[in-house]
Amino acid sequence: MNNFSSSYARRKVFLKFIFLSSLFAIPYIFGANHYLITVFIAMFYTATLSLAWNLLRGMTGEISLGNAAFFGMGAYITCILITMANMNPWVAIPITMCIVGVISGIFFYPCFFLKGPYFALVSLAFCEAVRQFFMNWQFIGRAKGITLRYGEPSFLNIRFYSKTPYYYIALCMVIIVYLFIKSIEKSRLGIELKKEREQKTNSLKNKIIILIFSAMISSMAGCFYADYYRYVDYDLMLQTYSTSFILPAVIGGTAFVEGPVFGVFVIIFLNEILRLKFGDIFPGINLFLYALTLLCIIRYNPEGILGWYMKSKLKLWIDENILKKTAAEEFNA
Amino acid sequence: MEVFFQALINGLLIGCFYSLIGMGQSLVYGTMKIINFAHGEMIMIGMYLTFVCSILGLDPYLSLFFVAICAFGIGVLVQYLLIGPALEQKNSFTNTLFLTLGLSVLYQSGCLVIFSSINRMTETSYSGITLYFGNISVLLPKLISFCFFIFITALFFIFLKFTSLGKMIRAVAQNPVGAQTVGIPIKTIYMISQGISCALAGIAGNLITQFYYTRPTVGMQFNFKALIVLALGGFSSLNGVFIAGILLGIFENIIAVFVGLAYKDITEFVLIIAIMIISQMYKRKKTLKSCNAVNLIDRRNNE
Repeated sequence: MNNFSSSYARRKVFLKFIFLSSLFAIPYIFGANHYLITVFIAMFYTATLSLAWNLLRGMTGEISLGNAAFFGMGAYITCILITMANMNPWVAIPITMCIVGVISGIFFYPCFFLKGPYFALVSLAFCEAVRQFFMNWQFIGRAKGITLRYGEPSFLNIRFYSKTPYYYIALCMVIIVYLFIKSIEKSRLGIELKKEREQKTNSLKNKIIILIFSAMISSMAGCFYADYYRYVDYDLMLQTYSTSFILPAVIGGTAFVEGPVFGVFVIIFLNEILRLKFGDIFPGINLFLYALTLLCIIRYNPEGILGWYMKSKLKLWIDENILKKTAAEEFNA
Repeated sequence: MEVFFQALINGLLIGCFYSLIGMGQSLVYGTMKIINFAHGEMIMIGMYLTFVCSILGLDPYLSLFFVAICAFGIGVLVQYLLIGPALEQKNSFTNTLFLTLGLSVLYQSGCLVIFSSINRMTETSYSGITLYFGNISVLLPKLISFCFFIFITALFFIFLKFTSLGKMIRAVAQNPVGAQTVGIPIKTIYMISQGISCALAGIAGNLITQFYYTRPTVGMQFNFKALIVLALGGFSSLNGVFIAGILLGIFENIIAVFVGLAYKDITEFVLIIAIMIISQMYKRKKTLKSCNAVNLIDRRNNE
């Protein structure tokens, strides 16, 4: 995939490896701090959803405001399969992904010649329609939601007492999704889509494939959510949920694959720190400061934090001093 | 039969409200070609301003002018500080979409801080009076609000058609570059149209405080309704949006009465998806049929 002959590239990969292993080591160091583990798990599945949304945005240029629908559908269908068909959760995950992929493909097939605002509105309407549908569906008991059974902790049934196994499962999920999306970029599909973006033609087939991938990744996050929280209801598909993983992707930078992951780390840390420090002064002031920070970032840096970083002097300094990028590599890059 | 007429009258009364918020959204889309996702929250701010005025002793309908001025000011401020600079960059549609999403979170949390999440109700001495026309019952505040809606809508259309400011706004909506060429100050017009749109939302919020609970999350449902009315009525056509709002209210009530309350929202969203697909397909076929040079240039400009 990458050219490892230059030491700059090798140093970059080494830094990423250090970062990853620190993520793997966190439960060993901070394992007793359940709050931190919970925050990290939330970061991981939100990062998966943001990556799925960014796949659609980056590759096809369409904004989809309805990705929460795929997330909620994945969570609901998993729960239905586990409770009513007595299926193993691990087996239910690929089946759910296929079902959600098929539904999204069938539904969005006539919608893809819509552009810009029209596609955003259609996806918004789709999300709300799915939410209302699940709220009123007699088969799953209408607005009660579905609860998964409690029992002995077992790996086969994805049931654990402590949060650490969920942490590792979520981390593996994020890594798999990240590597998958990176590989799409360099594959034939990615190159064809890049050509379409630059020449402004419109090819239905590739866009549908990307949308189906996005829906399947979102539904995988939904399956994890269902197994982790063990209760799903129709409020997973609220518009606020959809916003909560679009905004991190925008803050991080939609032009890069690492953008949503970075944005999710920043946003969720910011949210939690604001809630800890300011939450007891006034109810809601942490949300206000959070929204204010978001607005400032989007207003002054529409390309996100990573977009700013790539053009900044900080990157030049880091490249020269830490990563020791020589002039030859600068020329080749 | 009486049930049908009752549903029709109820739909008309609520449909006027939908058409007002749709017109505010359509004004912004027509001039600036952006979708304002904070429109529902603007309605909520109008409701809270009315609530504050009614605590201070002012009747909700008497504080209409004050709420409109405050909302106009907020709209101008937001346009000057946030949306105006974002419109000048490329990818303006997506940037303003995320900006308005963040703005809606800001409004919600701001109202949460100031007013807390208790359901507030603005009540007057005549809130509960019901009038009877034959067998059809109409709530008195709804009827007064309906009269105000008709008045405000008429005023708005007269403003757009006959005053010079209204003509400038229409010119900018039709062709921004041409308007700039003849010397219309486009940034001021953007600020004024955003202000008018927010003022319309504030007025709409004012007029429904007597029959909706006022709480920070009330704006979300109005957001959806505004977008549905925008899409049904054609995106920039104000006449279409006016009629679409009323039709949406009537349609919603008839479905709620005759099919079931649960299916009200689903049918709305399915309807909007179907109409958007069909209308866009029709537009595409039309422009592909008559493919001369003028059309191609037009199409490239519209994208």
